[in-house]
Amino acid sequence: MHIPDGYIDLPLALLFGALAVVVLSVAAKRVNGEISDARAPLLGVVAASIFAAQMLDWPIPGGTSAHFVGGAFAAILLGPHLGALCVATVVTIQALVFGDGGLVVLGANVFNMAVVEVYVGYAVYRLLVPYGEFRAAFAAGWLGITAGALTAALQLGLSSAFQYQLLTTLSIMGAGHLVLGLIEGAITASVYRYLARARPDLRPNAAPEVSA
Amino acid sequence: MAWERPDWLPRALAALLVLTLLAPVFGWAAGQVGYAEPLENAAEATGATEHATAVGTALFPDYGVPGLGGATGTFVSAVVGTALTLLVGAAIGRALGADTDRRQ
Repeated sequence: MHIPDGYIDLPLALLFGALAVVVLSVAAKRVNGEISDARAPLLGVVAASIFAAQMLDWPIPGGTSAHFVGGAFAAILLGPHLGALCVATVVTIQALVFGDGGLVVLGANVFNMAVVEVYVGYAVYRLLVPYGEFRAAFAAGWLGITAGALTAALQLGLSSAFQYQLLTTLSIMGAGHLVLGLIEGAITASVYRYLARARPDLRPNAAPEVSA
Repeated sequence: MAWERPDWLPRALAALLVLTLLAPVFGWAAGQVGYAEPLENAAEATGATEHATAVGTALFPDYGVPGLGGATGTFVSAVVGTALTLLVGAAIGRALGADTDRRQ
C-alpha cells in the first residue's frame, strides 16, 4: 500500500500531506505529557514490531499478496493518537531510509496508513468491543486496512497517472484488501489477545493517562 | 529524567529479533510465488506503472544493501530498520512523556 512518487497528482499529494500534518499535530497535543515513564518505551517497541512485521510479505501462491500494516493493532494497544504517531514513524522511516513509498507522496501514505487505518480501526474496535475483544480486534484490523486501501485507491483514481479510472482502482484495491484484510484481522486479534492475557498491564485501559 | 527498564523489554526485544530473522525467509518465499500487491495490480490495469519514480536517496533501496546478497541484505535491512524505528519511537515516547522535572 506504499504509493511511490509519480502515481498521485501533486495537488492531491499536498492536500493529503497537509491533512496528515494537521491530524498528527492534534494527536501529539492530545498525548503530550500524558505518557507514563513505564509506558513510553512501548511506543518504540510497537513501532519496531510493526516495521519488522511489515517486512514479512505473505507468500500467497497464484494470487495477490500483501503484508501486515498494523494500524489497528497500534491503535488498540496504544490508543488512537499514540497509535497514529507510531505508524507515522514507521511509514516515514520506510520512505526515507528504504525508499518504500515516495517522498512527495509521503504525507498521503502517512494519511492512509497512520490516520485512516488507525482511527477507523480504533472506531471499529470501540464499536464492537461489547461483543468480545477478539472479534472487535479482528474486525478492526480487517476493516481498518480496507479503509486505508480505499483511501489510497481514491487518491490514485483521481490522478492522471491512473487515467482517472476511479472505479478500477477502488474495485481492485478495495476487493483485494477486503480479502487480504482477513489476515490482517487475524494477526491483529491473535497478537492482541496474547498480549492482553500475558501482560494485562500493557492494555490501554490499564494506563488511563493515555487518553483516547 | 530517570528511565526504568520495563520488565517486558527483554522478551519484546527477543520477539523483534525473531521477526528480523524471518524477514529473509518470507522475502524468499514471496519471490517464489510472484509477490504482487493490489496497488501494483491497479497500476498495471490502468497503465500507471511507467509513471512510478524510485526514491534515489534511500540508503537501503528495496530493503537491500548494495553489494550484499538478497537474503543477507534483507536481514541487515530488517535489523537496521527495526533498531532505528525502536530508537525513534522510544525517543518520541520519551519526548511526549509525563516528565514533571521538565515542566518545573
